[in-house]
This record gives sequence, C-alpha cells and structure tokens, in this order.
Amino acid sequence: MWTIALKRFTLLCATCVFISLLAFIVPYMNGGDPARTILRSRMGDVALDTEAVEALRISLGLEQPLYVQYLSWLKAALSGDFGYSFVSRAPVGQEVLRSLGVSFTLAMAALGLALLVALPMGTLVALKPGGRLDNIVTFLTQSLVAIPEYWFAPISVLIFSLYLGLLPSAGWQGPSYIVLPALVLSLRPMAYFTRVTRAAMIDVLQAPYITAALSRGLSMRQTVVHHGLRNGSMPVVTLFALWLAGLLGGSVVVEVIFSIPGMGRLIYEGVVNNDVPVLQASFMCIVVLSIVINTIADVLYILLNPVVRMGHVH
Amino acid sequence: MSTETALPLLPFAGRTVAGRPSALRRFLSFARSRHWTFGVGIALFALIAALLIAGPWVTPYNPASQSLLRRLASPSAAHWLGTDHLGRDLLSRILVGGQFSVLIAMVTLFLCVTIGTVVGIISARSGGWVDEIIMRLVDLLISFPDVVIAIFAIAILGPGYGTLIISLTIIGWTPFARLSRGLALVISAKEYISAAEVLGCSRTFIIVRHIIPNTLRPIAAITFLRFGHKLITVGGLSFIGLGVQPPQADWALMLAEAQPYVERMPLLVIVPGLAIFLTALSVTWIGQGLELKEAR
Repeated sequence: MWTIALKRFTLLCATCVFISLLAFIVPYMNGGDPARTILRSRMGDVALDTEAVEALRISLGLEQPLYVQYLSWLKAALSGDFGYSFVSRAPVGQEVLRSLGVSFTLAMAALGLALLVALPMGTLVALKPGGRLDNIVTFLTQSLVAIPEYWFAPISVLIFSLYLGLLPSAGWQGPSYIVLPALVLSLRPMAYFTRVTRAAMIDVLQAPYITAALSRGLSMRQTVVHHGLRNGSMPVVTLFALWLAGLLGGSVVVEVIFSIPGMGRLIYEGVVNNDVPVLQASFMCIVVLSIVINTIADVLYILLNPVVRMGHVH
Repeated sequence: MSTETALPLLPFAGRTVAGRPSALRRFLSFARSRHWTFGVGIALFALIAALLIAGPWVTPYNPASQSLLRRLASPSAAHWLGTDHLGRDLLSRILVGGQFSVLIAMVTLFLCVTIGTVVGIISARSGGWVDEIIMRLVDLLISFPDVVIAIFAIAILGPGYGTLIISLTIIGWTPFARLSRGLALVISAKEYISAAEVLGCSRTFIIVRHIIPNTLRPIAAITFLRFGHKLITVGGLSFIGLGVQPPQADWALMLAEAQPYVERMPLLVIVPGLAIFLTALSVTWIGQGLELKEAR
C-alpha cells in the first residue's frame, strides 16, 4: 500500500512541474512581445516607455535564460503570487481563490442534489434488475445526458423566474441564487450516479454476506442500508470526486448564463480579454486541483476497501 | 460453403457468398434483434442527417438574409417558426444550423476512437513499462475537465475549426484507450491468441486480425453513447463564442443570440435546443440499443 501511495505522490509532483511549465510558457506562445506581456502582468500596468521597458526587462531578469526565469516565476507562484490581472488590476491569486470558493459551493450543491436522487433511485432499481422500473430508469438516465445545459438553463429561467417568479434568474447574492444553476448542473451527474449505484448495488446484493445478513433475520431494508449501501457506494465516491474536479471550471456555460462569479467565468473572461496572468493562475489551479482530488479519491477508495487496505490485492 | 454459413461471426466477413441474405436484410434482422431504441435512434438520426445535408436546398428563405421590419415575428404561414431578432427565418436557420457542430463532433469522435483504440491495444499487448507509462498518462488526462482544457487550447491556438477538433481530442481519446486496453487484455487471455502466437503470427497480424475486430462491437456502443456529450460540448463552446463563429447559422449560437429575447419569443430558445437534444438523443439511443440486449 505504501508503494502505491509513494508512486502516486511521485506522479503528482512530476505532473505539477509539467503543468507549471505549460502555464509559464503561455505568454511566450500567445504572440506579441512576451516581455511586454509579462511586464504588464507583473507590474499591473502598461509600460509604453521603451527605456522603462528595457530597464524593467533587466531588473526583472528577462535577459536571463528561460529556465532561470521559470524558476523565479515558479517561486513566486508557489507563494500564491501570480501577478496582477490586466483587467481588474487586482492580485490574481486572491481572485482565483474567491472564484474557486464560489464554484466549489455551486458544485457541491449540484452534486449533493444529484446524490440525493441517485443513491435511493439506483438502490431501488438494483433490487429488481430487469424489472419495469429498472427499464424506465435506465432509459431515462441514458436520455437525460442528451439535454444540453445551455438549453435547460434558459427554459428553467423562463419557467421559474419569468413565469412563476419564484427564483432569481441570475446573479450570486444569496442561497436562493444557487437553486437554479445547481438544478441545471445536477442533471447529468444524476444520471451517471444512478447508473453507477445501480451497477454496484446489483453486484453487492449478490454477495454471500448479504445472504448471511438476511438469514440472520435482518430485514431487507436493514440489510440494504447497512451492508449494501456501505459497499455499494464506493464506486460512487470515485465518480463524485471526478465530477467535483470536473465542475470546478467545467461549469463555464452555466456560470456564464447565470452570471455567477466562479472559476468558469474567470477563465472565460480571461480568454475573452486575453488576461494572461488570470489564465496562468486558473490553469495551474484547476489542473493541480483535479489531480489532487483524484489522488484523494483513490486513497479514499483504498481506505474504504478493507481488501485493498490489508494488501490482499496487488 | 457450409463452413461459411456456420461461422457468420468470423471477422473476415464482407466477401459475398452465394445464397447469403443481402446487406440490407441482414442489417434489418440485426436491428430487430436489438432493443427498440436502436431502430428508433437510427431512423431519427437518418432523418436529421438527411435534413442537414439537404438543408441548403430546402430552406424556404436564405438563412442569412435579414429583414428588420419583420424581426421577432410570431409563427405564421410565411414563417412557420417565426423570425429572430434580425428578422431571419428561424426554420431556415434550424435546417442548416447543425452542419458544422455535428460534423465537428463526428470528426472529433472519430479521432478520439482511433487514437484511443490503437494506443490502448498497443499498451495491452506491450505490457511492462510501455503499458505503465501509457496508463499513467491516461489516468492523469482522464481526470482533467475537458471543457477547461479545450478553452485553454483555444486561448493559446486561437479559435477555429481545427483548434476546436484538436482541443477536444487532447482529452477525448483517454476513455477509449482505457476501454480498449481492458478488452485487449481479456482477448489476449483467449486460447486462439496463444494458438496464433504458437503458429508464429507476427504481433501486428495478431492485433489487426484478431484483437481489433473483437473489440469493435463494445467500442462502437461507447462511441455512439459519447457522441451526445461531444455534440453538447462543441455547442457549449459555440455558445460562449469560442466555437462556430457568428455569421454561420449554428444551433448553439442561435441559442446564445436568443438569450435577451427569451421572454418575448420563447421559440427562439426552445427550437434550437430541441434540435441539439434530438440529435444527441438519436445517437445515444443507437448506442443504448447496441449495448442493451433485446428487451421487448
């Protein structure tokens, strides 16, 4: 088990180095004068005076070989200093952190809602695989994923905000603003969670310990809740982590539609305004986070599964 | 002759044998043996594809011609679905609006499947450190959010159809690599592979003749199931202005342009979205029908 952990950790570090290299190289690939772009990002202002540019070029070490520049950029980046946004002139590190918090809240709300529906539904369906309910749910979950969120979002706004006047149509000012975007975002994970729960529960319910529990006189409900769900929910944990990583930034379209100041919109505006420091910071942040979340999910999977934990499986 | 009919599933199929039912008839009997979604999906997609291909010739109006006098008109005999904020005929725009996004989704998916399958099978057949490196790379890439990576790729390379395809392929091939590797490992354990190895068949021959044909069916099912996701992602990028560019009529773009007029003309939002939904749904149904056993 320790070798697995060590391997994953080494891989994690190697990837982070690679990703930071990619992020560092962005201003050099973007066209235009990289020195000016970088200067602009580091100084938070446009330096038009040629002499000032030259002076700053030397004082910032842009005459030095690339790898020296990379190391000093990385050093600053590691302490959270990614420079200043071209547009808002604010330090990028703080902006990323704030957006990340918003996206995280939204993602958790959406995934929580998805789980709330998917776990009972998947379990119920797994009790009678091949039954009428199972066919209907399987059909629905396959079809739900074909709904584009940029279609579902305006329609739900039309119904809930414009016609019924129940919920706000856009913005991010209170709990009621989370409902619609979370609902829109939860549809697809809901379908996948239901499918995975169903498959896992069908497997689990055939295990000998379920028969044993039932023959000891436990009711079907107790058996399913205590023995079934505990083992059957493990693949869902992994999937949950994958989706969490995917929704941090992956919810661009929904964040743009509902004008939510999250990661997705930060990236979107970064691209539209060619805001290099914002792009560098958010790229690093999203990729590193998704790797970290996945590593945690893998470790959690090992911890939850006694067979793997005890080292019986290689 | 008798051996040919006794072994219809041999991967060498394709040559015509006297007395064998025609391709159409064989296809129909195959479709009938599947879940109903397979047939319905194929029929629906064929209809949509026919309309998209015939689009430029059957549109009642020029999809790009504007008429500010008739902007945001309700459905009428002249404009069956009404007009948009620039007075362009909605029906005409719907009929041509899927060409680019459907084509881009198809090309991307084709690239992902081809690259993924080849890499996965090579990984499984090589084993050792090659397998280890490829699979770690897949583990890594598969956890990245594909939309975000696509946006970054577009930011660096600049928008365009080529960029769109490349940016969605960077991550898109990984699930197919994982799937085909798993399938190839299962097939490699079969006796006929050992037999082929003992007979001295080359590695390439075994892969091309034995492994690839046997992985096709499950991979095809997943490919069809992934199409909807690809189409929706391409649409999402167009929606935020990083995909198909404005003068072109495109379903997702129409949706984006209609946002301010949702309340006045809900049809402007409902119809293009429905077009994307039905296209994605039809192909998903084909995949679902391929995956599920006959269940009527």
